[in-house]
Amino acid sequence: MTTMPSLAVEATAPARTSAPEHLVVSGATKRFGAVTVLDDLSISVAKGEFVSLLGPSGCGKTTLLRCVAGLLRLDRGRILVAGAEITRLPAHKRNIGVVFQNYALFPHLTVAENLGFGLRAQGVSRAEAAPRVAEALALVRMTEHADKPVTALSGGQQQRVAVARALAVRPSLLLLDEPFSALDRKLREVMQVELKHLLREVGITAIFVTHDQEEALVVSDRIAVMNAGRIEQLADPATLYGRPASLYVLDFVGQSTRLTGQVMESAEGEVTVDTPLGRVRAPGLFLSGSQVVVAVRPEAMMLDGVAAGMPPSAGINRLTTRIREVSFLGSRTLLHLEVPDSGTTVNRALIELPRLPEGASPGNPVTVAFRAADTMVFPAS
Amino acid sequence: MSVSAAAPPASSLSAARAALPQLPRRLDPLALLALPALLFMAVVFLMPLLLLLWASVRAEGGFSLAGYVRVLGDSYYIGVIGNSLRLGLVTAFGALLLGYPAAFALARARGYAQAILFALVFLPLTVSIIVKSFGWGIVLRRDGILNWLLINLGLIERPLRMLFTEESLYAGMINVFLPFMVLPIYSVVRMLDPRLSEAAATLGASPLFRFLRITLPLSLPGVVAGLSIVFSLAVAAYVTPSLLMGDRYMTMSMVMAKAFLNLRDWQLGSAMAAVLLALAVAVVVGAGLLQRRLARHGQ
Amino acid sequence: MERVGTTIAWFALIVVIAFLLLPIVVVIPVSFTEATVFRFPPQGFSLQWYEKVRNVEALLSSLWLSTQIAALSTVISLLLGTLCAIALVRGRVPGGTAIATFMTAPLMLPGLVLGIAMLQALREVGLRDAWWSLLLAHVVITMPFVMRTVLSSLSLFDFSMVDAARTLGCSYPLALWRVLVPNILPGFISGALFAFVASFDNYPVSIFLVDVRTKTLPIQLLNYLEISPDPTLAAVSTLLIGLTILVLIVCDRLVGVRRMAAI
Repeated sequence: MTTMPSLAVEATAPARTSAPEHLVVSGATKRFGAVTVLDDLSISVAKGEFVSLLGPSGCGKTTLLRCVAGLLRLDRGRILVAGAEITRLPAHKRNIGVVFQNYALFPHLTVAENLGFGLRAQGVSRAEAAPRVAEALALVRMTEHADKPVTALSGGQQQRVAVARALAVRPSLLLLDEPFSALDRKLREVMQVELKHLLREVGITAIFVTHDQEEALVVSDRIAVMNAGRIEQLADPATLYGRPASLYVLDFVGQSTRLTGQVMESAEGEVTVDTPLGRVRAPGLFLSGSQVVVAVRPEAMMLDGVAAGMPPSAGINRLTTRIREVSFLGSRTLLHLEVPDSGTTVNRALIELPRLPEGASPGNPVTVAFRAADTMVFPAS
Repeated sequence: MSVSAAAPPASSLSAARAALPQLPRRLDPLALLALPALLFMAVVFLMPLLLLLWASVRAEGGFSLAGYVRVLGDSYYIGVIGNSLRLGLVTAFGALLLGYPAAFALARARGYAQAILFALVFLPLTVSIIVKSFGWGIVLRRDGILNWLLINLGLIERPLRMLFTEESLYAGMINVFLPFMVLPIYSVVRMLDPRLSEAAATLGASPLFRFLRITLPLSLPGVVAGLSIVFSLAVAAYVTPSLLMGDRYMTMSMVMAKAFLNLRDWQLGSAMAAVLLALAVAVVVGAGLLQRRLARHGQ
Repeated sequence: MERVGTTIAWFALIVVIAFLLLPIVVVIPVSFTEATVFRFPPQGFSLQWYEKVRNVEALLSSLWLSTQIAALSTVISLLLGTLCAIALVRGRVPGGTAIATFMTAPLMLPGLVLGIAMLQALREVGLRDAWWSLLLAHVVITMPFVMRTVLSSLSLFDFSMVDAARTLGCSYPLALWRVLVPNILPGFISGALFAFVASFDNYPVSIFLVDVRTKTLPIQLLNYLEISPDPTLAAVSTLLIGLTILVLIVCDRLVGVRRMAAI
């Protein structure tokens, strides 16, 4: 397994191999004054696929969403849905549904009136709209709340109404802007699964915007990790986690041990890196002397009770240090290990174990082992 | 109380406690701060009003509704009440017509421009009503600015008579009370969540539909506030109608002033005042109820 | 379609502003006319009317009177009103909302009715002195303005800041002075300003309480208009407008116009 230089966008093909491209964005550029928020960005989503735009605030994910919805105009680039170009269409002619972060439910209307709003706006008579409103109510299990004012609903209920309202007009595409951020943690976890199931049933193509990597992992078929207006990597969750294209993606998705170091030897597709905790071997193509960052996922690390100080045997890296902190998280335990400070870069080492081992407490020495094959190397930016 | 003394037997302790003067449990000492203001207003504001109501039903012999009979029975005075009501309604709705879209533009403006525009709408409120009515007179005179403009633009040949007409009165009233319409509507529109209109757009609503079904209904609290304020002020107006129309358009306020200052007819004056008061209270209460109903739809 | 709506709105705003400023602006050039009439466009240029203003004793004394009454009533309202507001916001006062409504009630009632009511009541009590009558009445007029702004400032104020100051070493009064006062000062100032203007410009209440010797400025101006209408009035008006603009600028520096009106 080789890692690719971080500048290339590693994209995996859409999940359904024979599905047509439903949404195509090409060359999207958007500037606000001197700031370029979207930088020549391209992405395609297949029909029925769930894609998340993942990134920190300011990376452009919400701007991209609003451009696709028609609430913002691109400076350059094109947007196509089901083959038709919609770049110049105003929002109310695009038939793209949006679930807003704060739901944007109409406070002066009841639940049923909110659901029927889109239909009425498109000229459907009250009589014709009624069965479709009932259908939408049933879909999200809100039938008994039909005549309540939306302000009387709980957060989770409001979210369901917001989703149903967007779906009631049978849009070609559904965009969701941080739909779970207003919910508390327990509810969030429940709703993520429920919503994914609902949208699958309906068979709609959905794009989520989120800054929460766990949420992205749960709901998406593919995730686009965004950075400063560009997509760093677009791939399915497993690939993103196991083969991140860059340090940025690595840091954004999941936790990891992270050590800066210098390449000492480089031969036959393998490098030896000198890190603050010792020498590490890993697959990689780097010149001797380059500055790199070595990374390992916490669950790929193992405890090595055997005496420290043995040279790394073929295929296994060993590092010795002390335990800094112990975090008990119920189903797993994380041991945070001491790493000598290297100045500006953030170094850390963690190992994840199913159970807290005997004698594991802060200050105790420990040796960890991990396979070279599980070790990732990235250029230090 | 000495700390070292042995604890006294329980019964005499409770007896001692019962003997102490008790402050009513609910009286917060901080609440006493409100007393001076409250007393002042009760004496100088409330009492005179009650006295006024009392005076309106008093006559030589004792209790009498003669004042009300005159005010509500005489067709002349009914006409006067009608004048005031008409004045109030025309001013309120005229101000609404102009003020509603203006409030939107004001709410949409940003930064420095908004501050300046806001000050320009606000500044006229601080200028004396006498100055404004006087200025309005200058505008409408035969040799005033409006006629001068119209003649020089070639739209008319001879100066129009605009002073002392009902139309000019309405224009003058709207001029004085327009800011009172713009400001409440502006405050409400400013708070409207733009995401609501965006959500409506994504559901397929055209701009007109969005305005009629989302923006307009949600701006109603401001409209109700503006209408009630302007109507209350206009229906009770005295200075502007006197200056611009004089006796040709008698309003309730002018009747009251004449009754007290010129005719010394206390009964008439008090009764008219009571009717005006009742009207004002009705508008305030009605607007309040309407606001509460609107608020129940949650803003 | 959206553009049409926006254009209409902006057009309306321009019309509204022009319309509002028209009677005010017109007065200014007229005050400089040579002629003794209000004709527009004014002929010539002369400062004679401003000269006349200086010489009209009645105008000056009524200006002084109005200023006195406005200032004193504003100060009294501020004192009484602030104490009351503190009680309403921090204390547990039975019927607090009702009291707040009562204090702002004079605003909602026709001024003329108030004037008449007070005239009658003062007659009954036997108070004939115009100055004191005016003062009492004007406190009632100014109270609602002060109450509204001070109440809203106080209710928006986060009292945990005072607690924080105390934990940092300030005594309670010092904490109030250092933390509370600067924060509610805008409310104070804007309330005071509204109050002052309302009192200064008041006609409907004052007309019933003045006598031949004691007249407030608006009443004097109207008298003047009836007796000898000449551009002196325009000169006075222009001066008043200038004063207003000055006060507004001062206010904007101190507080910010928008903050004042966002009540």
